Amino acid sequence: MRVAIIRFPGTNCDYDCAFACRSCNVEYGFVWHKETTLDGYDCAILPGGFSYGDYLRSGALASFSPIMQAVREFAKRGGYVVGICNGFQMLTELGLLPGVLLKNRNLRFIHKRVWLKFESSVCRFSENMAGRLVRLSIAHAQGCYYCTQNELKRLEDDGCVVLRYASPQGEVTDEHNPNGSVSNIAGICNREGNIFGLMPHPERSVGDLGNDGTWLFSVLAS
Amino acid sequence: MKKYTVIVMPRKDILDPEGKAIRRVARDYLGFDVGEIRVGKYFEIESNASRDVIEKLARNILSNEVVEDYRVIES
Repeated sequence: MRVAIIRFPGTNCDYDCAFACRSCNVEYGFVWHKETTLDGYDCAILPGGFSYGDYLRSGALASFSPIMQAVREFAKRGGYVVGICNGFQMLTELGLLPGVLLKNRNLRFIHKRVWLKFESSVCRFSENMAGRLVRLSIAHAQGCYYCTQNELKRLEDDGCVVLRYASPQGEVTDEHNPNGSVSNIAGICNREGNIFGLMPHPERSVGDLGNDGTWLFSVLAS
Repeated sequence: MKKYTVIVMPRKDILDPEGKAIRRVARDYLGFDVGEIRVGKYFEIESNASRDVIEKLARNILSNEVVEDYRVIES
């Protein structure tokens, strides 16, 4: 796959994603948010950061950038889209994924490594990962995933819950929920499985930095 | 030029930790026990646009309908 790493003013995980791509032999290119096409790419990564300084709501202003129309059409045609952290916030603001990311329940910016459990899901980026545990960094102030109970049921029924915050043993409890997310949700996908949004940073645990994020970039290498 | 005010508030059923924290500090440290506080956003807009346009702006950009309600006031 050839991967587009999309940059907005305030993006700061673009080079981390590029590093992870290089480490896993994934071909990539940077795409500025004012561009209007994703021609020649098979996957778009919306990296983490503070697009537009997190003004208004995290990811809200970026979701109106010119490239986002291309992302929307690209995703509709089955193109792979991954939103990491601020990128996940953009995907919910765009309406490509349901729900919203609210302020962490303790109102603090949280930066630490957490354990995550893969659920059985339709996500194309995590096939054969159900039940596995990984330890990844989170670094966010607005990572508290919220959706209505009806939406949560739909997500669960359709196999769209991909990752949950868990204990090192894989128990999904409130004690191991760092930010107050509904049902410990850390990552979700759409029904088709080609759009994936997650708050943790797999790109920070690849190559010399670890192995727990390699699964994502290995999929992109295929 | 018309003046519009848009107020965006978190929905009642959404947890508002910011409002809760302010309430707690006001009560515990300053002695103001005033009951529930909710935190929203306030926008002042000077424009020749119609109210209809400002309503659309409020709906499509200024608020997120999943968790927020908005109100447009024309003065």
